[in-house]
Amino acid sequence: MKRNMRLEEHRIEQEPFYMPLGPEVKLAEAAYITGLPILLKGPTGCGKTRFMQYMAWKLDRPLITVSCHDDLSTSDLVGRYLIRAGEAVWTDGPLTLAVRSGAICYLDEIVEARKDTTVVIHPLADDRRELPIEKRGELLVAPPEFMLAVSYNPGYQSVIKDLKPSTRQRFVALAFDYPGADAEAEIVARESGISDSLARSLVKLAAMTRGLKDSGLPEGASTRLLIQAGKLMENGIDVRTACNNAVTEALTDDRELLQAIDEMVSSVF
Amino acid sequence: MNVETLKETFYTLVSPDIPNDWDVEEAVENLASLDEEKCRSALNQVQVIWPVSHSLCFDYLKTVTSALDCFAADNLSEWVNSTLDQYEKQGLRAAQRYMADVEGNFLCPLRGESGVPFKRVHGRLLPYLRGLSGSSLELAPHDVVYTDSSTVYVPHEITLFTDDADNIFFYKLIVTYQWAFIACSSYTVAESAGSNRQGQDSSTEELWLQGFIDSFPDPRLAGDLYHLLETIRVTTFLESELPGLMRRKRSLSDQQQSRGLPLSVTSEPVCRLRDFFHAADNRSADTSLHERCLALAERHRTHARSAMDSARLTRTLYRIMDEEAVEYTPVEPLLYQGVMRLDGVRHARSQRLEQSRELFVDALATLLLQQGQAGSTAVAEQPPEGPGAAPDKEGVAVVVDARQQDALTASDSTVVITIDNEKVQLNDELQRLASSIISDLGYFPEQYVSSAVGRAGKGYAPFPAGANEEGPELTGPVIYDEWDYRRNDFRKKWCNVLEKPIPLTRSSFYPLTLQKYHGQIHRLRYQFELMRTSERFIRRQRDGDDIDLDALIESLADSRAGLAPSDRLFIRLRRDERDIAVLFLVDMSNSTQGWVNEAIKESLVLLCEALEVVGDRYGIYGFSGMRRLRTDFFHIKHLDEPYDELVKQRISSIAPREYTRMGPALRHATTLLDRVDSRLRLLVTLSDGKPEDYDDYKGEYAIEDTRHALIEAKAAGIHPFCITVDRHAQEYIGHMYGSVNYIQIDDVKKLPHRMPEIYRVLTN
Repeated sequence: MKRNMRLEEHRIEQEPFYMPLGPEVKLAEAAYITGLPILLKGPTGCGKTRFMQYMAWKLDRPLITVSCHDDLSTSDLVGRYLIRAGEAVWTDGPLTLAVRSGAICYLDEIVEARKDTTVVIHPLADDRRELPIEKRGELLVAPPEFMLAVSYNPGYQSVIKDLKPSTRQRFVALAFDYPGADAEAEIVARESGISDSLARSLVKLAAMTRGLKDSGLPEGASTRLLIQAGKLMENGIDVRTACNNAVTEALTDDRELLQAIDEMVSSVF
Repeated sequence: MNVETLKETFYTLVSPDIPNDWDVEEAVENLASLDEEKCRSALNQVQVIWPVSHSLCFDYLKTVTSALDCFAADNLSEWVNSTLDQYEKQGLRAAQRYMADVEGNFLCPLRGESGVPFKRVHGRLLPYLRGLSGSSLELAPHDVVYTDSSTVYVPHEITLFTDDADNIFFYKLIVTYQWAFIACSSYTVAESAGSNRQGQDSSTEELWLQGFIDSFPDPRLAGDLYHLLETIRVTTFLESELPGLMRRKRSLSDQQQSRGLPLSVTSEPVCRLRDFFHAADNRSADTSLHERCLALAERHRTHARSAMDSARLTRTLYRIMDEEAVEYTPVEPLLYQGVMRLDGVRHARSQRLEQSRELFVDALATLLLQQGQAGSTAVAEQPPEGPGAAPDKEGVAVVVDARQQDALTASDSTVVITIDNEKVQLNDELQRLASSIISDLGYFPEQYVSSAVGRAGKGYAPFPAGANEEGPELTGPVIYDEWDYRRNDFRKKWCNVLEKPIPLTRSSFYPLTLQKYHGQIHRLRYQFELMRTSERFIRRQRDGDDIDLDALIESLADSRAGLAPSDRLFIRLRRDERDIAVLFLVDMSNSTQGWVNEAIKESLVLLCEALEVVGDRYGIYGFSGMRRLRTDFFHIKHLDEPYDELVKQRISSIAPREYTRMGPALRHATTLLDRVDSRLRLLVTLSDGKPEDYDDYKGEYAIEDTRHALIEAKAAGIHPFCITVDRHAQEYIGHMYGSVNYIQIDDVKKLPHRMPEIYRVLTN
């Protein structure tokens, strides 16, 4: 009963806005039907999480998201005993919860988790589809509705933060990138409510910042940043200030790059 | 002061050098007229300039009297510093010129009166330009504004406006316009893509535009007309692309028109066409002709789609002018428009093409090899065939289909390559290269593909991507600044560091050392094994992986007894990961000859053995050199290089060489470590004495420079540490490294024993 209550909170009732840019929806559906886990990769703010929300809505499954960090332990995922009123009570972790109830478990930014933690998903991510819970001596077999999805950002190329091949090779990989100019403008306009022409200018600005890779800006303005800037504009903040606070300052602290992006803003608007 | 005293002071200042008497006399003569205080501050600077350049110092003494008439003695050191900057950047002549005009070069910028120099805007405009173009265009100062489609040349300085913000804006305007010429392919226009694609070596191909302009009897007029018409078209393009920029441009010209700025700054491109007919107006006062041309230009402004439209209108206008016998007096181009330099464009294009051709052929060949498509059918340099050619049994049928998705810019196109009826999926890098080639040539030469197929078929191994597969080896000298404490500033671009492989020698050093320290190595391994990633349970935590039974029982007992039970009932597994990168910098100066060198080598062996067990990342480099232009930086082991036979051989080959110029070596090591992502980054120097070089790099100067290099390292988040065997180290090393960041070993023979111990303490 209690578990179901918790689960219902993860259900997505309203259709989230997602604009398919390729065959990703079809692929994810096929993966769901055949019980394959999926790996979403792409730069920050390009719609990976939104895609998962959309898929959860479309497949009518609850979506349990875990944001990974380097202190995430196996128990944080699988579950642990807690003491309640003098008794030890087992509490499922988010992963176990998802397996038990056939939900979608989405591990966001999986590379941030330590490698020994990511290993627990291995038996779940191949054809066994099972989760051993050592502390309880239990072996959970995932129902067909359960789906495992992980995401990571290949932009942070660091030797330390890379997926182990044994983890990586269990997944169907879906590559995400920023949408083309027209689609991106439509997304920005729709999500933030600003006019189409303003959205186009924002997209133009984003394209310029994405060209700064060699000049010291590893990642340019994401679609999410543009939407945030658009939302500020929609709420009465003037265009330049909105761009300055939502885009320029959010991208970098480097003084010269700040000036350069500022010049771009003043050129575009 | 009289001349004799001055001379005497001068000699003490420059000692141990003894310059010619008459030179000194001539130089200090001027100073005699100054009052005592000014004279002293003028002489104070001698120590700063003399080590940099003797002749500059004499020049300084000759000009300083007049300079001190212009500004107060407080500003003297700043003036000297700017002069030295000039000297280090552009040489003696530039420094002399700089000193000659105190008012214009020093005081005006000091008062903020002059315009904006290129230096000031470079930092912001280069990323701006690259962001606009999405490619790595360069930005450089030049006497003439133009672009060769790889570099945008802008003025050295802009002094048009009184307000600096306007000057900066004008820089930006120039950059934007020059970029727009590239983006709109104004110079690389071709009549129709692919009309003359066969049989020509594309890299030396003339620009179509050049031929077009040369076909007129007066190429200069045709060129100017075309360039102006393109400027008109580009202006429209910018109006729609960058409305904010153009709004500011308009308001700027409105403001400035009355202030008497040249028309080449303020007037609109369309109005500029009027000047072409100036002569005609004077003679026949035929305003209808004038009107007609302006109407054409106006239509061009709103309707032009491509550079071809400009070419066509150029022809029309040229004919009109020819018919009306208008005599052409060259019209000065608009300042932001710059000039058109087609030879430059052609040169840059052929260079770029050469590069991208090589890259493309390589990348495609690699791709084909990987896909196993090359097969045995491939024949090199098959003549290209037209689109849709039937597959040839003997050769390779290549179909290249470049789909332009966006009519405006060629950079957004998708290239699909079909080889022997099989579609080849190009990866992102190849796509990028292909679009860059298309934007330069207007089409995609099929020879490129067939040579790639040829190369793949011959089984050529792909070219190595970098200069060295071993690691971050830097090619060519790396240039570093050096700190001059007397100036309280850097000597710019003063030292060269050369990364070199160490010359290998054969010796039985390694096995002998292993034998000698057999017992110790065994012990060290054991000790260091204990340091490996340690996992331990910490008890009594508020949350954790498991229940802490002791704590639970206690808490239950407490609650039965009526005490407040503790909520710390869990055990947590804590992992202390050793995320350490360490770089050992070995002093290979001549003074280490003998015992010291031997001890250093032995301790390196022991350290390596120990570090292999603990698994920390470590690199070893040696340094030595002579004078500022050559600090040799010997590679012994890169950070992530495995500890193998070659590394062992390199350690054995460490031998005393020349001098110890510490600063540049430390700076280079800092650069190397700065690229590493680790929790703890250590830079350990093994040395036997003070930093010292053959030239004036000694004493206080050397110590201060080393100290500053260490401060720079600390600022980069690196922990420097020094192990020295110098008995007199106390005198200076505390000042250099900070009192806790060094250790002094009194007996060289103890070094191998102590070193692993020191390392263990350092990293725990």
